[in-house]
Amino acid sequence: MLELTLQALFSGLLAGGYYATVAVGLALVFGTMRVINLAHGELVLLAAYIAYAGESRYGLNPVLCIPFALVVVCASAAIVYALLARIEQDREMNSLILTFGLGVILTNLILMTWAADIHSTTNAWMLDSVVLADTLFAMRSEVVFFVAGLALMAAVHLWLSRSWQGRAVRALSSNRNAAKLMGVDPSRTEVLSFLVAGALSTFAGIAIYTGKTIYPALGHVMTVKAFIITVLAGMGSIPGVLIGAIMIGVIESFTVTYAAASLQELAGMVLFLVVLFVAPSGLFGGKKALPR
Amino acid sequence: MKPLLEVDGVRAGYGAINVLWDVSLTVAAGETTVIVGPNGAGKTTLLRALMGLVPVQGGDVRLDGASIRNRRTWDSVADGLVMIPEGRMIFPDMSVEDNLMMGAFPRKCRKGWKANLEMVFDLFPRLKERRGQLAGTLSGGEAQMLAMGRGLMEQPRICLIDEPSLGLAPVVVDEIFRILARLKAEGLTIVLVEQNTNRALKIADQVYLMQSGRVALSERGERVDLDRLHALYFAHEAAE
Repeated sequence: MLELTLQALFSGLLAGGYYATVAVGLALVFGTMRVINLAHGELVLLAAYIAYAGESRYGLNPVLCIPFALVVVCASAAIVYALLARIEQDREMNSLILTFGLGVILTNLILMTWAADIHSTTNAWMLDSVVLADTLFAMRSEVVFFVAGLALMAAVHLWLSRSWQGRAVRALSSNRNAAKLMGVDPSRTEVLSFLVAGALSTFAGIAIYTGKTIYPALGHVMTVKAFIITVLAGMGSIPGVLIGAIMIGVIESFTVTYAAASLQELAGMVLFLVVLFVAPSGLFGGKKALPR
Repeated sequence: MKPLLEVDGVRAGYGAINVLWDVSLTVAAGETTVIVGPNGAGKTTLLRALMGLVPVQGGDVRLDGASIRNRRTWDSVADGLVMIPEGRMIFPDMSVEDNLMMGAFPRKCRKGWKANLEMVFDLFPRLKERRGQLAGTLSGGEAQMLAMGRGLMEQPRICLIDEPSLGLAPVVVDEIFRILARLKAEGLTIVLVEQNTNRALKIADQVYLMQSGRVALSERGERVDLDRLHALYFAHEAAE
C-alpha cells in the first residue's frame, strides 16, 4: 500500500513538471495581454503531433523534432497574436470566442491530418524504465523531461526577474499605462510573451508525446488543465505555478491509482473548486499579475 | 529662445467626453512651468495627452519644433519626454529596485543604469533601504518618491510631474518640494501639475491656471498675484 502511494506521488510529481510549462505559457500571455488563450493547449498538441510525424514518417528521434516544432508552434502563436491584436472592441469576451474558435480549427486540422488514433513514441530509449530506490518506476522520458522542465522553468524565472525584456513583461502585466511611460512598446512585449509561450508549449508537446499518449482532443484538456493550475497558483509566481502543477499531477495520479482513470479530469476540477472556495485568490496570494 | 515644448490649441478627451478645449501653452528649456487648477480642470488629462496616453483630437503638440501629436508614448519617452505619474502608478508587485530598473528601460538609458540608480538612491535614501521590498508595501510618500526616482532613471529632458504632493503628509510634501527645487537648480525642464498652489508657485518660472479644460491665466512666476490667482481658482463660473 505504501509503495503504491509513493509510486502515485512520484508519477504525479513527474507529470507536474510539464503541466507547469504549459501553465506558465498561458499565464504569461494572460499577464501581458489580459487574454486567456483557449487555443494554448492546441499549440502544445501541435508540437506533439509534429514529433509524431517526424518519428513515424522519417524515423527521427522526437527530441530532434524540437527545432522544427519550435518554428511551427511559434509561428502559430504569432498568428494567434496577430488575430487577437485586430480585436478592437470588448477584447475580454471576443478574445475568448476567437481563441476558442482557433482551437477548434487546430484540433480539426490535426484530426484531418493524423486521424483520431492514439499515438505515443516508439523510441525504445525513451520508453525504457528507470527505477529509483528500488521501488519507484518511471519511463526514462518522464524523468528526462521532468528535469529539463525544471531547468526551463528556472530559465523563464531568471528571464522574468533579471532581463530587460522579462522585467518589461512583468511591468506590462502590472500596470499597462505605467509600462508605456517607461518606454515599453506593448505590442512587442506581447509578441514576445506569445513566442516564449510557444517555446514552452513546444517543449511540453514533446514531453507529452514521449511520456504519455496523444489524441486530437487532448489540446482542449491541456488548456483547461493549464487554466486550473494558473488560477490555483494565484498567477503570482513561477514557483507557485510549479507547486500548483505538481498538485494537479499528484491528485490525478492518486485518482488513477485508487479510483479510476476516467475520473482523472474530474479530480483536478474538484480540487480547483475546493481551492476557489477556501482561497478565492489562489493558493499563493492575490498577486493578480503573473509569474515572477 | 525657441520653446522646448509647445501645446497649440489642443482638444482632447476620453471617447465621447471631451476634457480639454483649446489648451495652449509653451514650456521653455530649463524652466519650471507650473500648471495649477481645481479638480477636474483637465491638468492630468493634458499631461496624458502630451504623452499619447489620451488621444489628441485637435490642435498640435510640438517637441523641439516637431509635431509629436498622438505619437506613440514609448517613442516620446525615447526622446526624453518623461512623465512621472502620481505614486499609485508604480508597479506594486515588483520590488523597489525592479521598479527603478524599469525606468532605465529606454535603450539609451540602459548603459548608465548603475550610476543613475546610485544617483536616485542618493536623492531618496529611503528607497535604498527598501530596495528589495515589494513596491505595493510602500507608504504613500515612499511610493511617490519611487515614482519620481523611476522617472529620473529615464534621463528626462522634460519631466512632466503629476500632483506629486497629492494625499501626502506635510513633512513628506516638504521633502518632495525640496527635491523638485534641487532638480530645477540642476537645470531640468519641469512641467509640474499641482493643486498645492502656495508650494508650487515658489519654484515656478511660468504659471498657468487651468479651469474646465481651458487655460484661464498665464503669467510669469514672479508676477503672479496669489490673491488674484486664488480668486480665479475658486470662482469657477466667473472664469468662463
